[in-house]
Amino acid sequence: MPTSIDLLQGTLDMLILKAIANEPQHGLAIAQRIQQVSNNVLQVGQGSLYPALHRLEYKGWIKAQWGTSENNRKARFYSLTAAGRKHLAAELDNWERLAGAVNLVLAEI
Amino acid sequence: MWEWLAKARFFFSGKRRVEVDEEIAFHLERQVEVNLAAGMSPEEARRRAAIVFGGRERAREQCREQRPSWSVELLLRDMRFAVRGLFRNPGLTTVAILTLALAIGANSTIFSLMSQALLRALPVRDPQQLVVLSYAGSHEGHTHSEGGNTPGHRHEFSYLMYRDVRDRNTVFSGLIASAQSAVGATWNNHAEAVTAEMVTGNYFSVLGVRPAVGRLFDGGDETAEGANPVVVLNFDYWKSHLAEAPVEGRTLLINGQPFTIVGVSAPGFHSVEWGRTPNVYVPITMQRVVEPEWKYLSDRNSYWINLVGRLRGGVKPEQASASLNVLFHGLREQEFTKLHDQSAKARKEYVDASHLNVEAGARGFSPLRDDVRMPLLIIMGMVVLVIAMAVVNVASLLLVRAANRVREFSVRYAMGATAPQILRQLLCEGMLLGLAGAALGIAIAPEALRLLIQWMQGSTGDPSAFTATLDWRVFAFTAVAMLAGSILFSLAPAAQFWNPRLADALKQQLSTGVGGSLRFRRTCVALQIGFSLLLMVGAGMFVRTIENLRHVNPGFATDHLLAFGLAPELAGYPGPAVVPVELRALEAIKNLPGIRGVGATNDADLTDEGREGDVYVTGFQEKPAADEFDVELPWVSNDYLQTLGVPLVAGRYFNRSDTSTSQRVAVVNESFVRHYFGSPQAALGRHTGRPDRPATDAVIVGVTADVKHTSVQDPVLPMCYTLFEQAPRPSGLTFYVRTWQKPEEATNAIRAAIANIDSKLIVSKVTTMSGEIDENLLAQRTIALLAMVFGALAALLAGIGLYGILAYSTAQRTREIGIRMALGAQRGSVVGLILRETLLLAGCAVAATVPLAILGARAVRSQLYGVSIADPMIYAAGIAGICVVAVLAGFVPARRAASVDPARALRTD
Repeated sequence: MPTSIDLLQGTLDMLILKAIANEPQHGLAIAQRIQQVSNNVLQVGQGSLYPALHRLEYKGWIKAQWGTSENNRKARFYSLTAAGRKHLAAELDNWERLAGAVNLVLAEI
Repeated sequence: MWEWLAKARFFFSGKRRVEVDEEIAFHLERQVEVNLAAGMSPEEARRRAAIVFGGRERAREQCREQRPSWSVELLLRDMRFAVRGLFRNPGLTTVAILTLALAIGANSTIFSLMSQALLRALPVRDPQQLVVLSYAGSHEGHTHSEGGNTPGHRHEFSYLMYRDVRDRNTVFSGLIASAQSAVGATWNNHAEAVTAEMVTGNYFSVLGVRPAVGRLFDGGDETAEGANPVVVLNFDYWKSHLAEAPVEGRTLLINGQPFTIVGVSAPGFHSVEWGRTPNVYVPITMQRVVEPEWKYLSDRNSYWINLVGRLRGGVKPEQASASLNVLFHGLREQEFTKLHDQSAKARKEYVDASHLNVEAGARGFSPLRDDVRMPLLIIMGMVVLVIAMAVVNVASLLLVRAANRVREFSVRYAMGATAPQILRQLLCEGMLLGLAGAALGIAIAPEALRLLIQWMQGSTGDPSAFTATLDWRVFAFTAVAMLAGSILFSLAPAAQFWNPRLADALKQQLSTGVGGSLRFRRTCVALQIGFSLLLMVGAGMFVRTIENLRHVNPGFATDHLLAFGLAPELAGYPGPAVVPVELRALEAIKNLPGIRGVGATNDADLTDEGREGDVYVTGFQEKPAADEFDVELPWVSNDYLQTLGVPLVAGRYFNRSDTSTSQRVAVVNESFVRHYFGSPQAALGRHTGRPDRPATDAVIVGVTADVKHTSVQDPVLPMCYTLFEQAPRPSGLTFYVRTWQKPEEATNAIRAAIANIDSKLIVSKVTTMSGEIDENLLAQRTIALLAMVFGALAALLAGIGLYGILAYSTAQRTREIGIRMALGAQRGSVVGLILRETLLLAGCAVAATVPLAILGARAVRSQLYGVSIADPMIYAAGIAGICVVAVLAGFVPARRAASVDPARALRTD
């Protein structure tokens, strides 16, 4: 298994929000998606995924609905709320500025 | 905002635990399917899935912790746990809560009274601007005082002096004057005795008191003598006696004269003087109606009103004093020229030595406050001691409990509890104890306050200067302090677990007690014994005092004696008609069945009243430098001395031959005779009277024994009795009726007899003489009662504390005792061992406390009567009491220790 990077809490929140930005997903799909898209660099500790999901839900950024999964099972699907969308936009903005700034510094020195 | 709403929603609905479980289960199943699809064996697929997922319980727990209501759930869980913990030890918990409640309740009650009496400012506008005036210097003429004077600080002024100072000063924005008197008030044909405050026209406006109804007085209500028949009602009186009837413009008869009611004063206001509780306010110019027997207004030598000024903004009391004294000296100089005695000595005393004192008056001048200060301070001292004991008690109880729980906590640690969790639990227990104590305290405090005020009020039913409202700041302070204390002490044991040596702790019961904390607990118990000895000695002193006072022989029999007041003037009788109606009343009562005798005086006995003045005696020349010798001058009825039973020493009592038209006669007592003549026989036939008042001249026909007059604890005064029907002016009288049966039973017959003469006559203040004496001993009675209660409580608390520590330390020594008994110690000697320890502790505490108790008793000497501050009997009784408590408290643990089975004790652990 390739080396993975531990995620900071805020970063995990952002990734989860991003992962469900387009369509509702259930927990496992979110974890898999993050893992796949990052080429297995980002491993989401699955035990910490659910507390994070619950936290985001309590904050009102995502909402959960029971739906049917791809194998026709009952599963909880998470989707962004309006507040979550706004929050995600702000987070992305922040992230870009931070990453840009860090890149700039790294390029200079 | 949105976030908050979401939180609030989840707070109440939350997510069910099942949902989390289902979700996690689904996740794992899917993972297994994925793994199967990747070609693993079912076994391996499940294993891998579980590994990837991580701790399932932990995830579930963490999900729950995300809930917004988590902290509350946690708190509730801790609380439930704490309640269970407290219930496991119900005796200890009950004692701790009761102790706390007692401390909080007693403290709030006493301090509520204290702050009302000693600290609270008057309910008027800007009370800090008010100053009370008093003066130093001699005076000539009549003084009517409500008390509260000290040398150099007389608080009474003449009305003319008031007007001069009011009109000519530059420092006051207003200066007011007032005096209080009993009057008869008739409303809807119902007459009763009420209290009137005579006030100046600017009284309410200077104080900033607003009307509740109608208007209050203004300058137009103080125009000329007798010209202002208007009255303002006190709010409480209006509410309780007039049922809040519309009163504006209606007529109230005061002493038979019609007064127009102009308004009602604001609720909560009584008087500029704390302790006065007037029912009605009348303009000071109506003094002649309020007190028909006196003519004060136009007399510079009648001192009868109290002055309070409001300083102009920015004027300091010292500046005001300097400026006022220039004015005051000038006025005294003018007054002196009109006086009878123009000698240099008189001038020096009247003018040169005179001084006007300007003192802060935010709380108002108050003789009552002076009277209640010492008793309240004593009670407060007792309360502080009891509270100190309570705190020490709760602390040591909690520590004992903690020590017994070392094992419990150690086990909990071993099972994986974290330090913060244990701390939280301890905190919760402390908080619960404190809260329960506060809740109970709040439940008992208002009732205790009401009872105490009722008790202090006595049987008179007069409105009390105290209001039964709890001071919430005091309550909050005490409750918070107690809460903090109980939390602090419940946390104290945590120090022991902060760095737990589990193995040691689990073996704890082997050891013979943790030395340091045992010493601390011993100190606690010693302190408690000391405090309770202090309180018990105090209780002994006050109980002895009240016993002594109750058994003081006033010189006449106080049993079967009914007292009541009758003042025909209050029913509107004009001066000349007063004496005849009083004589008729005496005659009518005398002829009632069951009456042994009836007498009357204008100077009630044993009620702290007095009517003193200087007299001349023919054939006696006062030494020039001698101080003025004041004599008590009651005006009495013919049978008064016989009815009271004052023994005759020489000459004769008053008798039928003495009438309003015969030679004026006087009877004096032995103290009087001792000062003027030396022997009773020498007094007979001499003349005595007030200087410069020929109408008061009387011949001495009899000498009686000394009897107490002012109160049972005050010394005997020189007395000069004269007949009221021979007095220069009429006066209201206090009647004394000696009965055969219980005096109360004569009340109705007497009321009927008086009503038969004139239904308008008001019979007031009906009491028995023994009731009167009790009333007079109110302060001592209150202190004695509370001292007994507190003393008993203290003994109880000390007993509980002692029991706690002994139970603990004997439990710790089970093994040691087992060894002793195995080696042949007898049960008796084991009991002796424990009791010896107890008595040793008590002995040390007693030795340290006795000197303190003597010091304390010295401080309260003024409230003691006939008791030495080092009375060995009281100390012996106190110490014996302590020993009994100590032995009782020690006996149960000692018995338990003695019944230890050596074999079992040795096998423990």
